[in-house]
Amino acid sequence: MKELTAEDASLLELVDRLLNKGVVLAGEATISVAGIDLIYLGLNVVLTAVETLEKAQERRAS
Amino acid sequence: MTLLAHAIAAAPPASVSAGGLRGRPLAWSEAAAGLGLWSTEWTPDMKLERPDALEHHRLVERICAAQPCLPVRFGTAFASVEAARASLDKRAEALHAALARVSGKSEIALTLLWREPAATEVVLPTAGPGRRYMEARRAEFASREARRARAESLVERLIAELAIERPLVWHETCTSASVAVSLAVLVPTEQAHERKADLARIASGFGDVIAVANGPWPPYTFARVE
Repeated sequence: MKELTAEDASLLELVDRLLNKGVVLAGEATISVAGIDLIYLGLNVVLTAVETLEKAQERRAS
Repeated sequence: MTLLAHAIAAAPPASVSAGGLRGRPLAWSEAAAGLGLWSTEWTPDMKLERPDALEHHRLVERICAAQPCLPVRFGTAFASVEAARASLDKRAEALHAALARVSGKSEIALTLLWREPAATEVVLPTAGPGRRYMEARRAEFASREARRARAESLVERLIAELAIERPLVWHETCTSASVAVSLAVLVPTEQAHERKADLARIASGFGDVIAVANGPWPPYTFARVE
């Protein structure tokens, strides 16, 4: 398990808010998440956030 | 041209002294219901990168400093001004209510990290393989439940000592092996630094976790519109 530093935790909390919180508007279209540099891929909070976006993209595509 | 959304605010727009992402124009699209959307004039072929997310955050901070606003989830785009307006008009009542809820308030984040990895009981080496497997599973489950209960008790102490109403607090516990508590509190902006210090002081009394306080931030967690 990667040890989470205080600095990691701060960044992850912020990224989680940017990707998972805030107003979700009807008719939204996420341009891309693939370009986001996922250097914290091993950390659950970002994984969850990215999975949420990817699922939303899949739903829109289907 | 598309619009990459940042925040929703009530009309009229405040003066925001900033451009949009990557120096592109910042646009205000006003809907019929007295609401408007702050967004960057974007092109679909421009892929978003990690620095764009952080720049979006800084931009939302500046907008929220200029007028009460609801941060929009990063990555939200509209094909046209008309599409953005229609989206706001469709949920105008709920958006006005959410704006009123967060107006003049900021979000403080507190993360509690476990100081030590979870301890698990040692299974008797003399036991048979089936029993060892079951005992190991039981010990793992008991350890997980004990940590969850401890994390919830920390949240209760924070809420009680901070003397804050529950609707102004959001939290999750044990979201990963390292994280005990992820908590957000909505506080009046003028008291934000004081309340952040209060949170950090209370949490510093918990011996088994390391407290990381962040903010004040725009009210991301409390901008959710049902």
